Amino acid sequence: MNDDALQRSLYLNGYLADEALATTLWLAGQLERPLLVEGDAGVGKTSLATALAKARGQVLVRLQCHEGLDLSQAAYEWNYGRQLLAIRLHEGGTEQLREADLFSREYLLERPLLRAISSDEPCVLLIDEIDRADEAFEAFLLEVLAEYQISVPELGTLRARHVPQVILTSNGTRELSDALRRRCLYHFIDYPTLAREVAIVQALLPDVAASLTHQAIEFVHRLRREDLAKKPGIAETLDWLRALHSLEVESLPEDPRALSAALSCLLKTREDRFQFDAARVRQLFEGRQAGVAEHHAARAS
Amino acid sequence: MQPAPVDARDPIERIAGFAATLRDHGLSIGIAEQLAMVRAAAAMPLERAAHLDAAWRAIACHDPRDWRRWPDLFSRYWYPNRTRGSTRLSGQTRASRNLRQLVEELQDRLAAQQPGTARERTMDTAQQPLAVDADDAGVPRANAGASLSDPLHDRSMSQWLPQDLAQMESLVDRIARALRRRLTRRWRDAPNGARLDMRRTLRASLRTGGLPVHPVWRTPRRVAPRLFMLVDVSRSMETHAQFFLRVARAFVTAMDARVFVFHTRLAEITPLLRSDSATVQEKVNAVTAGFGGGTRIATSLADFRGVHARAQLTRPSQVWVLSDGFDADPPHRLAEELRAVRRRGARIAWLHPSPNAPVSEAMRAATADGLVERFHRLDSLADLAKLADLVS
Repeated sequence: MNDDALQRSLYLNGYLADEALATTLWLAGQLERPLLVEGDAGVGKTSLATALAKARGQVLVRLQCHEGLDLSQAAYEWNYGRQLLAIRLHEGGTEQLREADLFSREYLLERPLLRAISSDEPCVLLIDEIDRADEAFEAFLLEVLAEYQISVPELGTLRARHVPQVILTSNGTRELSDALRRRCLYHFIDYPTLAREVAIVQALLPDVAASLTHQAIEFVHRLRREDLAKKPGIAETLDWLRALHSLEVESLPEDPRALSAALSCLLKTREDRFQFDAARVRQLFEGRQAGVAEHHAARAS
Repeated sequence: MQPAPVDARDPIERIAGFAATLRDHGLSIGIAEQLAMVRAAAAMPLERAAHLDAAWRAIACHDPRDWRRWPDLFSRYWYPNRTRGSTRLSGQTRASRNLRQLVEELQDRLAAQQPGTARERTMDTAQQPLAVDADDAGVPRANAGASLSDPLHDRSMSQWLPQDLAQMESLVDRIARALRRRLTRRWRDAPNGARLDMRRTLRASLRTGGLPVHPVWRTPRRVAPRLFMLVDVSRSMETHAQFFLRVARAFVTAMDARVFVFHTRLAEITPLLRSDSATVQEKVNAVTAGFGGGTRIATSLADFRGVHARAQLTRPSQVWVLSDGFDADPPHRLAEELRAVRRRGARIAWLHPSPNAPVSEAMRAATADGLVERFHRLDSLADLAKLADLVS
């Protein structure tokens, strides 16, 4: 699949990737390299992996990183309960139970990394929010990402039958190590332009009136330029428009107080809510109207 | 008009030349990256040669910093004629650099070489450092830094005596250790921690039939504060900037600080400070060459918290501004920006070269609110020693 085809099939699965991103994804497949995607929360990093898996018709294996994530949660763990049970069962019997029997694949619990490595089918492995995991875990990942293998001391090295397409995401809350960065291709997803965001929303929410979509996204763009503790991402725009749609709003009203509940889809910290009272929101709404008037004036002249 | 001479070098060599340029600008491009760039060009269908921009960007950039600089670096190298408003070296015509032609030649060459012999290809690129050096020799590196407004002109970093350097490094180490000592109330898992996490040990023992095979140990969690240093390199700070950058470099080594320089604009120089070479000074000059006169501390701070450190400016972080506090922005803006940084939880310290804390109008507004946690003079190693005593 070349990058054009990939872009199209991502689109069919609800993800509008720009050309550069499609080329990068294609290259990651060609070079069999993991792809590290960075960007603010809500710009579509995780949904990229979901859409890619759908576009390729592959399974998505997801590993959500968090502080204190360790091997037993990420890669594999021995199923002690079953091992104990096996020992008990053999105690009465005549058959000898060897250690190698107990430490075989049968008693190995596969966690996401091992599941992706040992999958019979090619798959997409999403390692989400890698910046939340500890540095020690990052170091462990190096082997997995460079060689696509996991070493289990009791079993030996397990190699991938099919190299999974690995996508790592990070919000940049911690600097990742150079070693990890250099093993990955890199892509930074920024907030989309107005036209792109309109296209994204129209693709995902075709039922919402076009005029409302335009107005709402212009408002969100104006909001992003403000000094917010948490800028609304595309996910927030989509949530807000879904909310407006279900409230049967056709266009943004003059009085923003009517929308105050729906605004909580966009403003997610107390400070931001406090800063954007009805008057401030109305100002931004009015900025929208001025913008439309200017736009029409420009077109008329 | 005469057509520009065609670059007759081997395509792999040309890629190596580009890689060398990227390396000169602080991107970390090793053999692996160079090899990947060649492979990307070889795999790219000819009609899509223009997409090589995106493909190489994914390979060569490793963080948002590189990512933002890429479009400029790429177009300057491959499309020098498109770049407006920049001065080029005179007296030589640049060979034309055509991406499509490069891809075509590379693919022809690989096809002629019996593709599939991966080893041969690896050998090819393994020899590239030679080509890189050759290219380096032809391009004067510091040409961009030789303007009259260099903040660091004629103050060589090599004027330092080794014992001064050693003393500074030990002082900076002391400060770094003191900052790191801040404990949090949280605990983290540690195989050789001192406290047993009874709850989790019992929970884990359920899997092993009640035997605590896997005790879980914990240790207090330490969060190393992120240190951001913002160094003023405007004219008024000319005589101090060199010392400040020396100190900043030591902090980069000791605790992975991120260092920015500013006067009218702000630029990050952390990657330049990581390597100790004689050209560091020239490179810093090159970064700040186009900044123009005046100091805009508030604008620079806004850029710093809004773009460069947006995700990392959290509670344990420290922001040190190394400046005399003379700001060309409207005086109230500095207080506003400092308040915004403070609101994110970061602590602000102001290090000034003058004996007393800065008293410009902007600074008065900022200090009235207690936004700056600490003012400290930093003009010599003795001041640094006092700072070390203070924090430890």
